[in-house]
Amino acid sequence: MAQLYFDDVQEGMSLPVMEKTPTTQTLVRWAGASGDYFELHYDKDFAQSLGFPGPIVHGRLEAAFLSQLLTDWIGDKGELRKLSVQYRGNALPGQALKLSGKVTKKYSEGGENLVECQIWVENPEGKQITPGTAVVALPSKK
Amino acid sequence: MVERRIAPMDEIKSLQGKKSKESMEIDKHMIRLLCDCIEDRNPKWKDTVPPSMITTAMISGGALALGIPLPFKRSVAAGADWDFFKPIKAGDTINTTHEFFELQDKSSDKGPRALMVYKSTHTNQKGEVVAVSTNTIMSY
Repeated sequence: MAQLYFDDVQEGMSLPVMEKTPTTQTLVRWAGASGDYFELHYDKDFAQSLGFPGPIVHGRLEAAFLSQLLTDWIGDKGELRKLSVQYRGNALPGQALKLSGKVTKKYSEGGENLVECQIWVENPEGKQITPGTAVVALPSKK
Repeated sequence: MVERRIAPMDEIKSLQGKKSKESMEIDKHMIRLLCDCIEDRNPKWKDTVPPSMITTAMISGGALALGIPLPFKRSVAAGADWDFFKPIKAGDTINTTHEFFELQDKSSDKGPRALMVYKSTHTNQKGEVVAVSTNTIMSY
């Protein structure tokens, strides 16, 4: 996995885009791996009783995807310091989700080289259903 | 289907500050299940716990742990924040204190609505704070 250095980051640069297509099987596996057994994510009748067309993708699964987007980007010596997400829309199993990000600020503080990013999950209609922000710490070449 | 208890706002507000504690050893099998699910093939996660593990409900799901009743029938996740302070290794024990922090009544002429805010502090077996998290549930 390539290492990202603080020196190579510019404000405004985009993160490499990642795509994920969580299926109903992914949701079952996530429920088991994460301990989230809320029926909204596997019970069609329950989901429809709440006004949804069917089971929806766990918001925390989308957060995990965004976490992977960031850790893949920063490399082994980088560290994710902060992740923040807002769930503004729903993803349905089988939909292709696009995960993206953009650097908004780079600065040094407390002896660390920090980079702030906007991040988001986009549904097939192009709507940002899960926007958020993140802060990562990166090594320097010097 | 599991029925969730609905309670008046005043009763739920009286539960603000309620805490619960959980403890969990993170083993390599748990890490592998999670990484396989999200197809995260980073070899770093053989011995190090990925941040995505902390985003899971079993670690930072205060709403599940505390069992606070809902003010209205429907609920969905509204948002979440995680601060990661120290790396977590396979074999570490994560001790979590969950708190039902706040109920915010957001009802309007558009209908009933409330935000339920949960905060969790995660420490390792040495007592070091490795992460803190905030999760917000919207009930409507």
